[in-house]
Amino acid sequence: MRESQIMFMQYLTGLLIVVFGSFHFLLISVLSPAPDKILYIYNSSTTVHALVGGTLFYANVKAVYTSLAWGSVLELLLTFLVFHVFNGFRTILSEQFPGGRAEKFITYSLLIIALIVFIWGSRTVVVALNGGL
Amino acid sequence: MTIENKKGWISWFNPFKYGTDRWMYALHRLTGIALGLYLIAHVWETSNILNGPVTWNKIMVDLDYPFGAHYGPYILSLILLVAVYHAMNGIRLTIVENGLMLPKPYRPEFPYKAKSLRGLNNLLKIVLGIFMIVISIVGVYYIFTGAVL
Repeated sequence: MRESQIMFMQYLTGLLIVVFGSFHFLLISVLSPAPDKILYIYNSSTTVHALVGGTLFYANVKAVYTSLAWGSVLELLLTFLVFHVFNGFRTILSEQFPGGRAEKFITYSLLIIALIVFIWGSRTVVVALNGGL
Repeated sequence: MTIENKKGWISWFNPFKYGTDRWMYALHRLTGIALGLYLIAHVWETSNILNGPVTWNKIMVDLDYPFGAHYGPYILSLILLVAVYHAMNGIRLTIVENGLMLPKPYRPEFPYKAKSLRGLNNLLKIVLGIFMIVISIVGVYYIFTGAVL
């Protein structure tokens, strides 16, 4: 793949991350299936932390992960993010350590790490969707 | 041919020679690195949903109280600010680096001040800067209060 094509993909995934990332922020706030659309609930007199009813409580997060629509949004966001992040790292590191051998080493090392992160994140989505929770 | 990068990442910071765009470029890179590392941590954190409610809820509480104090909302707000800056500046770069909102090519004339760094590019910075401030205020207010402005 030519560098110009990779850079085009970098712009495209960046814009898609803005769209899908916005969905992700809305998902943990106003669009959450939680009864209280709030991240954390605090007892104001003791400042004790309580998750129950909040958007980050296990049952409410589970409801998101077991939804095919939201699971698909998270999986697509992960795909765009992994490409954008690791291609960004590759660009920065290649500039710091220019040269054919160094760039090859950087590219393949980051490709392996990117695949691990992608598989790790996808595993969460796929297992949750298939009743693993 | 390989060109040696003598100055390395130090060269990202040179406001005296390059001005605002250089600072925005440096910040874009720094925020990008921070968000990339955050992605890896976030993938690990969310994978704990598979370990059941006890583990998940404990991690959520621990992340809200790192180092024994209630820093959670501050850390989350910082991540939001970093993400909003990177997104807004990314939109600007996508527009400008693809040749949009830039002046037509012209013959360089003394004192060689780049027109591309002024005009619509500056307007874009202001508009996206306003967006950044509004989104940040709404987001941080929500993180701390749970209410939507």
